[in-house]
Amino acid sequence: MTDQPSPQTVTLTIDGREVTVPKGTTILRAAERVGIKIPHYCYHPGLSSPAMCRLCLVEVEGWPKLAPSCKTTVADGQVVLTDSEKALSQRRGVLEFYLVNHPLDCPICDQSGECKLQDFVFAEGREHGRGREPKRVLGRDDFGGDVLFNGDRCVMCTRCVRFMREVAGDERLTVVERGNRSVIDTFFDRGLEGSPFAGNIVDICPVGALVSKDFLHKARAWDLDHTPSVCPSCSQGCNISLHTRDNLIQRLKPRENLEVNGWWMCDFGRHNYEWINRSDRLEVPLVRGKATGWPEALKALLEALQAGKGGVKAATWAHASNEELGLLKALVAALGGGETVFRSPRAQEEVLLPGYPLLARRRDLAPNVRGAEVQGFTRVGDDEARGGLEALADHDGVLVVVGDPLAELDESFGSRASLFVYLGSYRCQAASHAHFVLPITTFAEGEGTFTNVQGRVQRFWPGLLAPGAARPAWMILGALLAELTDAEAPTRADQAFALVAERTPELGGITYRDIGTRGALANEPARLSGD
Amino acid sequence: MSDSSRIPFANPGWAGNTGEFDLTEAQVRGDDYVGERPMEGGHPSGASSYPYMLAERDPQAPLFEGPYLVRWEKLRSRYPDARSALLPTLGMAQELRGHLSPETMDEVARLLDLSPAYVRGVSTFYTMYNKRPMGRFLIQVCTNISCSICGGDDVLTAFLNNTNTELGETSEDGNFTVIEAECLAACGFPTCVQINSRYYENVTPKDVPGILERLKTQGK
Amino acid sequence: MAYPYTHQKEVRLLSKHFGEPEARTLEGWKARGGYQALPRAFEMGREKVIEEVKASGLRGRGGAGFPAGVKWSFMPKERTRPHYLLCNADESEPGTFKDRELLRWTPHLVVEGMAIAAYAIQAEHAYIYCRGEFFETTQVLARAVEEAYGAGILGEDAMGSGHRIDLTVHVGAGAYICGEETGLMNSLEGRRGQPRVKPPFPAQAGYMGMPSTVNNVETLASVPFITTHGGEAYRAYGTQQSPGTKLFCVSGHVRRPGNYELPLGFPLMELIDDVCGGMREGRSLKGVIPGGSSVPILNAEECRECLLSYEGVVAAGSQLGSAAVIVMDDSTDMVKQVRRMVGFYAHESCGQCTPCREGSAWVERILRRIEDGRGTEDDLDTLMEVTTQMEGTTICVLSDSVAAPVKSSILKFREEYLARIRTGEKVGAA
Repeated sequence: MTDQPSPQTVTLTIDGREVTVPKGTTILRAAERVGIKIPHYCYHPGLSSPAMCRLCLVEVEGWPKLAPSCKTTVADGQVVLTDSEKALSQRRGVLEFYLVNHPLDCPICDQSGECKLQDFVFAEGREHGRGREPKRVLGRDDFGGDVLFNGDRCVMCTRCVRFMREVAGDERLTVVERGNRSVIDTFFDRGLEGSPFAGNIVDICPVGALVSKDFLHKARAWDLDHTPSVCPSCSQGCNISLHTRDNLIQRLKPRENLEVNGWWMCDFGRHNYEWINRSDRLEVPLVRGKATGWPEALKALLEALQAGKGGVKAATWAHASNEELGLLKALVAALGGGETVFRSPRAQEEVLLPGYPLLARRRDLAPNVRGAEVQGFTRVGDDEARGGLEALADHDGVLVVVGDPLAELDESFGSRASLFVYLGSYRCQAASHAHFVLPITTFAEGEGTFTNVQGRVQRFWPGLLAPGAARPAWMILGALLAELTDAEAPTRADQAFALVAERTPELGGITYRDIGTRGALANEPARLSGD
Repeated sequence: MSDSSRIPFANPGWAGNTGEFDLTEAQVRGDDYVGERPMEGGHPSGASSYPYMLAERDPQAPLFEGPYLVRWEKLRSRYPDARSALLPTLGMAQELRGHLSPETMDEVARLLDLSPAYVRGVSTFYTMYNKRPMGRFLIQVCTNISCSICGGDDVLTAFLNNTNTELGETSEDGNFTVIEAECLAACGFPTCVQINSRYYENVTPKDVPGILERLKTQGK
Repeated sequence: MAYPYTHQKEVRLLSKHFGEPEARTLEGWKARGGYQALPRAFEMGREKVIEEVKASGLRGRGGAGFPAGVKWSFMPKERTRPHYLLCNADESEPGTFKDRELLRWTPHLVVEGMAIAAYAIQAEHAYIYCRGEFFETTQVLARAVEEAYGAGILGEDAMGSGHRIDLTVHVGAGAYICGEETGLMNSLEGRRGQPRVKPPFPAQAGYMGMPSTVNNVETLASVPFITTHGGEAYRAYGTQQSPGTKLFCVSGHVRRPGNYELPLGFPLMELIDDVCGGMREGRSLKGVIPGGSSVPILNAEECRECLLSYEGVVAAGSQLGSAAVIVMDDSTDMVKQVRRMVGFYAHESCGQCTPCREGSAWVERILRRIEDGRGTEDDLDTLMEVTTQMEGTTICVLSDSVAAPVKSSILKFREEYLARIRTGEKVGAA
């Protein structure tokens, strides 16, 4: 590099590696830049740094004492040693202190396998502790909500207290007592019930002190597969990980994305996953009630569409991906155009997270309302996603429904349609008269994108195996479209997205590569009606 | 100043059994200690310094009404924000009610617009806030080093034996709770014992029955 | 009524009026020459006041011994935000009982010292953080403050100077750690009294995030003398590095314990043998803690040449701290007393930093086991190592205070530990 370092940057050496960072960066963050991870508990990027765990202390040449790297800002020419004998023995000492009263109950601890105390002690701790005294016993406390507290495992980093104070703005936790008797607690029996973001304290707890009741003894951390995804519970589109085992979602965890949700997600989204594990799934294509193979089913459907009379009407929901929505829209156009609607539930109010204003549980309780509107679908129905399909119910032409479970409707729906095609994931009463019932995957089983409330297009990946012969809706719609027009049938999600992006100005220019795991803003956010 | 009688004690600090110093027991203990205390706290600058001397603590007593409210408003006026007034406010609540119950903490939290959990965290940090009811006389015996090397533990034992209680327990008649105290900053006058707000200095085990008897009969 | 004990070797700049109840009233205090330094300070101007305090070499009397004038000069020169003066009267270092005496005998001296300091650092509001246990003391002080307000010494126009000086008596609630300056600020803000990470230092961001200075009671009480007589006059006492006089709080096994104001650099043995009347009948000196329980213990040998100045005590192997001289004779059970001191720190640890929170309680439990005769020789090595792990690794120095008595006693009184471990036998009775 020939550039002169600007006055706004600082160059220092960490463990012999030179690093240039903006002025005001802490040593801990600067070290992360060059891949050096300094162990820490109390520091969390989303919270204030009290520098109290004393684990992240590093040696700075010329300083008499070790410096807390989470709090000490870099200076030009500084020489930092994170693994000098002095720093190592400090960490060894601190880790020993943690274990003096720790119950070592890893075999029954949910955090085991993703526990920072396990990790750090394994990496740098003493082989044997010297504590011979009886251990302090605090026991277990139900904090209310989904949170269970195991005082004995606590390392007193106070991340949870600071989260509730600084981020949730709902100071329901505190450190009670002082010194060795100090313990995290609520205000007596007034716990965390009703605090909409309290579940995050389980995530940020570096040890097994705060555990989820929902996840209690459900799975070992090392048995879980993690798949990056997007929370489907509202239009915020929090970045999440699907934690799966035995082809079931075991829990959802937030995935860091500073543009969307920081490190957080709301409890509503966190616990709204059982529906993904539903077992009453459609598994094979049904042609007039008869199970059929895909080639036959598609062939028959294509013929039926080409022969279809009376105009096309299509309905979908805002859980459908951009790929599905775009190709459905294109298919309707290829069939001569017609009414396209979607339904989506809506809450009365947003639930704000005061300490991270970007994030809120949005009013729209589906991940892709923005995407549906961009594709030109009209919103119908009430806030419970009911009603609004009257015009479709009695439509005597071609009726296509994608995704919407039509939950409140009975078998009379679509009975007058000349052709009723239902693409769905679950068995559906209202699709009894459908000529074609085709099984499709959910967002957890396929690839695709959602557009969140900010206009950010975000990808999700398959974390579960699709049941039976279920296929992504974009694949089915794409194959039909290819036959009806001279387009090429997409075989991968990125191709489907490219097809959709081509015909959607708002998505123009974005590719799956651009979106990556962090999402990309649509070039020209569409001007949308409504709120 | 005419009302200097409001200076409520005459305890010069007593240094011992050497025979060179001839104050009487009464002078040392400060018979006139329980003086007049301005109910509404006097001038705001010192409003938090005058403890209420009430014959009985009432756990249900109103906290922020009448003269108490006047006093609290004076306290509050001396701090840049409500949070800063938390310690004196808790102190006032405890003087009136004898201890800080969850309900009291909640009331204080509402008054100062703080979260109740926060108030609990603060009140448990400080040892002078009682989180449970105590005896009418809270007897704190210093057993820290300067008193300990001069026999503080014997004084503690004497108090426990004479009140017939265990450490931290309240005696059956509800009069006495004896606890160990950390250094009370009267190290030259061992053993120092604090009973409610008063210091008793140079206490020896043989003084204990007399002190207890006086507390019982005279209430001070 | 005479103050319990005095001695002709004392130089009583601060303690002259101890024991005189009239000195507590404004009238009585003025009759004794009070409130002449404050108008003098207004005449001198605040820069000159700071200069004189710097010239006097007055060092912080709370324990750290940082030069007071230098500390004041850290405050911003221009007052763009509120400045605060905080007087630390949370006296709770075991062995120390000087601030209480200053406050209850000469409250106006402290008020005047605070007013001068507040003026010098441009603070309009000063708080005096009194230890919660000091009920009687704070009442005396509060009366003095009220009198000072009544006489126009404090308030919007302090002594007609045009400067606003407010003073509030704040009462703590029982936490040793609030004697640490940043813990004190947190406590004064209505928080748990946990020390803060420095930087930022109080002079940049202290109480309420505003520039603040925290001074000990005795430090501020020395200011009126310096203002009136000048820094040079103060330097007439004490040594080059430790100028002035100091209240020595002598407790323990001497015949006349008490507060003695002596020039710094006074020989320790002379203090014990002459000023305090010597050891109790038939007993000999075993050890001395020269600066409150957080400093290393000196054995009898080390005491012999020890001079009581900041540098003199360091040369002898300890620190002057708050000049609380705890004298122990041969009846002292060292293992028990060290355990008691560590127990104190374990009780008072704020619980923030891991080494202190876990370490202090752990060390106490090991010591208790040794005291009960169930220790092993390995325990002594463990204690040495564990306390080393606690030194210099925490936000404040409470953790180091655990290490000092443990390490020094194991080094100097190892035989006593070993006897306890091997035979369960006590050396001393107390």
